[in-house]
Amino acid sequence: MNYSKFAVFVLLWTAFAQAQDYGQLSGGLESNSQYYVDDPKTGDFLEDDHFRTNNYLRLNYTFKNWFANAQLESYEPRALLNYYPKYEGTDLGTFAFGYKSQKLEVTVGHFYEQFGSGLVLRTWEDRQLGINNSIRGGHVTYRPFSTVQLTALYGRQRDGFEVSRGDIYGFNTELDLGGFLNFETTGLDFGFSYVGRYEDLEVENPNFDPMTNAFSARLDFSEGNFYASGEYVLKDDDMYQELGNLYEDSYFNGNAFLLNLGFAKSGLGLDATFRRMENMAFYSQRDQGQYGNNPFNQDVVNYLPALTKQHDYSLTNIYVYQSQPRLVFNPLPKAGEIGGQIDFYQRFKRGTVLGGKYGTKIAFNFSTWYGLDSEFNVTDKTYESGPFLGFGKKYFQEFSFELRKKISSKWSTIVTVVETYYNTKYVEDRTGEVDAFIAIAEATYKFGSSKSIRFEGQHLWSNDKDHDRAKNWAGGTLEYNFNSNFAVFATDIWNYGNPDEDKQIHYYSFGGSFTKGATRIGASYGRQRGGLICVGGICRFVPENTGFTLNIATAF
Amino acid sequence: MMKSFITLFFVLTFGLFVKAQDVLPNLHLENLDGETVALQDISKDGQLVVVSLWATWCVPCKNELDAIGDVYVDWMDETNVKLYAISVDDSRTVKRVKPLVNGKGWEFEVLLDTNGDLKRQLNAPTIPVTLIVKDNKILFRHSGYAPGSEEELYEKIKEFSK
Repeated sequence: MNYSKFAVFVLLWTAFAQAQDYGQLSGGLESNSQYYVDDPKTGDFLEDDHFRTNNYLRLNYTFKNWFANAQLESYEPRALLNYYPKYEGTDLGTFAFGYKSQKLEVTVGHFYEQFGSGLVLRTWEDRQLGINNSIRGGHVTYRPFSTVQLTALYGRQRDGFEVSRGDIYGFNTELDLGGFLNFETTGLDFGFSYVGRYEDLEVENPNFDPMTNAFSARLDFSEGNFYASGEYVLKDDDMYQELGNLYEDSYFNGNAFLLNLGFAKSGLGLDATFRRMENMAFYSQRDQGQYGNNPFNQDVVNYLPALTKQHDYSLTNIYVYQSQPRLVFNPLPKAGEIGGQIDFYQRFKRGTVLGGKYGTKIAFNFSTWYGLDSEFNVTDKTYESGPFLGFGKKYFQEFSFELRKKISSKWSTIVTVVETYYNTKYVEDRTGEVDAFIAIAEATYKFGSSKSIRFEGQHLWSNDKDHDRAKNWAGGTLEYNFNSNFAVFATDIWNYGNPDEDKQIHYYSFGGSFTKGATRIGASYGRQRGGLICVGGICRFVPENTGFTLNIATAF
Repeated sequence: MMKSFITLFFVLTFGLFVKAQDVLPNLHLENLDGETVALQDISKDGQLVVVSLWATWCVPCKNELDAIGDVYVDWMDETNVKLYAISVDDSRTVKRVKPLVNGKGWEFEVLLDTNGDLKRQLNAPTIPVTLIVKDNKILFRHSGYAPGSEEELYEKIKEFSK
C-alpha cells in the first residue's frame, strides 16, 4: 500500500469515526530536519542534499475492544546523516489491527514484543537511532487465569520499508507461582521463552540447519525488601561469519546468564547485576551478522545492551562501553563478555548532619567488564571456552558518584565525578587503552514562579592518544527557562588538550525550545562531534557535521 | 516530495479536527512488586491522578520527580491526588528503577513500561511527559520540565480537584 492509498483509507476511516461518534482516534507527528552547512573548521559538507528530514506520522484508532494503527514515514529528500540506507522516500512503515480484552489479545500486522529481559527477543523502535525491528505477522496473547500468560507469534522483521529474509517463531509463558501457591508476602514468577529463526541458504554441509533455536528460562523472587532474578539462555548452533564471508563448515552455539540481586527500602537502594554472554549475536537474516557489515543494527532479534551507567552529560558520553556479545576470530579473537555493575542510592533526610536543611541524595555506580577467558585457534577457527566464571582481558571499568543537594529554596546543585578505564583495542578494534576522569558541576537558580537559570561546567582529563579526541576536554552549558514553556540554551565542548591543533575544535550549539500541551518545537544551530549517539545501549555513528536543526513533535 | 508533504499535513490537520487523545490507553503495566495494574483503573471513581513518564537516565525527569517528591505529602493531603511515575526504562536500566525510587525516598506509585507501549500510545517521543487524569480522561498534558513548573502543575491539580 502506498501513502496516497493509505491517506484515503485514513480519511474514510476518520470520517466514519466522526460521523458515528464511534471509537477514538489519536496520533502523533514527529519531524526532525537538518540543514547541513560548510564549516571552515570541520570542513565542507560533501554529501548530496544539504537539507534532509525524517518524518513520522502515527495514527491509533480504537473502537470498543478493537484497535488499528499505522505509521507513515517520510525521509525526504533523504534521511538524516548516517541512517540505514533503506530508509528512503515516503511509505507506510508499520500497520496493525486487532482485538484486545482482559484475556485475549490478537494482532495482525507489525507488533513490538519483549520476552524476559530481551536476551532472546525484543522488537522496538528508536527513531533517533533509526531502529525499527518490529515483526510483521501475527501475535496472540492469552491469559486464561490471572496467574498465567501465554504468547505465540510468527512473522518477519521489518528491514527499511521491507522485511528481512528470515522467519521468526516465538512462544512465551509467564507464570505467577506466588499467586498460584497463594504466597502472601513472597513473590515468585517463572518465565520460559522459545524463539526460532528460519532462513534457508544454499549450503551443502549436513551440519547446516536453516532453523536456529533459542530458549530462555527465568525466575523472579521477592521477599520483603529483598529481590532477586535470574535468566539462562541457550542458543543452538549457528553458522560462523566473518568480514563478509559465511563459514559453511563452522558452527557454534551460544549462551547467556543474567543474575540480579537487590535490596530496597525507603531512603536506601542497592542493586547488583552480573551477566555472562558467549556468542549471543542473533539476527533474523544471517548476513546482517557479518562482522563490520551492519553498522546500522538492523534485523537484530535480541537486545544485548551494555550494562553500565547510562550517562546524560556530553563529556561522559565520549568513552561509552558497547556490549561484546559475539564470537569473532578476526581482527581480534573474542568470544563474549563477562562482568557486572553495582548501583547504590541513598537519601540523607532533612535535619540530619549529612542531610542539612533540605536533605541530600547520593548515587554510586560501579561497573566492570571483561572478555571471556578462552583459548583461540585463529587458523582453524576453533576455540576452547574457559571456566564459566573465567575473566579474560579487561574491556571496561567505571566508577561514578553523584551528589544532589538543594542549598536553599532558590539554589540546587548536582556534582558528578566519573573515573573510566576504556580498552579501545577491544571495544573499538583500534589501538590503545584510556584512563579518563570527568568532573561535572551544575547549579540551578530559580526565581519568580518558573523562571530559572542553569549552569553546567564539565572537564575531562584523559591519557588518550587518539587524535579524534586526545587528552583533555572542557565543556559548559547555560540554560535559561523563561517559563515552563519556553527555554533557550547555549553549550560548548572543546577538545583544548588535543596535540593536533586542527583538532582543537569547539563543538558549540545554541538554540531554544517551545512546549505547549502535547506540542514541542526545538531549533538549534551548531556543530556535532563525530562519534556514537547511544540510546539504551545501542549506538549509531554520526560523522562530524555543522548545521541548523529543527525538531517538531506533536500528539493529537 | 511536495506531494507527500501535502498529504501528510492534510491527514494531520484532518486528524486534529476529529478528536484529541483524551483517554488513557487500554494497557496493563507491572508495578515494582510484579503485580499487573490496568491503566484504565487507576483514575476511576473520580480519583485525580498525575501520570509522569520518566526514566532513570533522564535528568529533567528526575529533577521534576524530586521537586514533586518534596511536596507530595502536602499535595495528597490537600487534593487527594495520586502520582503514578511510569518508567520507560528498557531492560538496560529497568533494574535500577526500584533502588533509585527507594534511594530517593519517593512515595509515588511506580509502574514499568519496559517496551515503550504506553510511550508509543501517547505519541511521546521525548520525556518527561506529565498528564493529569480523572475517570480515565486526560485533562492536561505537558512535556519537558523547568524548575518551578511543578507549582503550575499544582495549580492545575487544585483546579481539577474541585
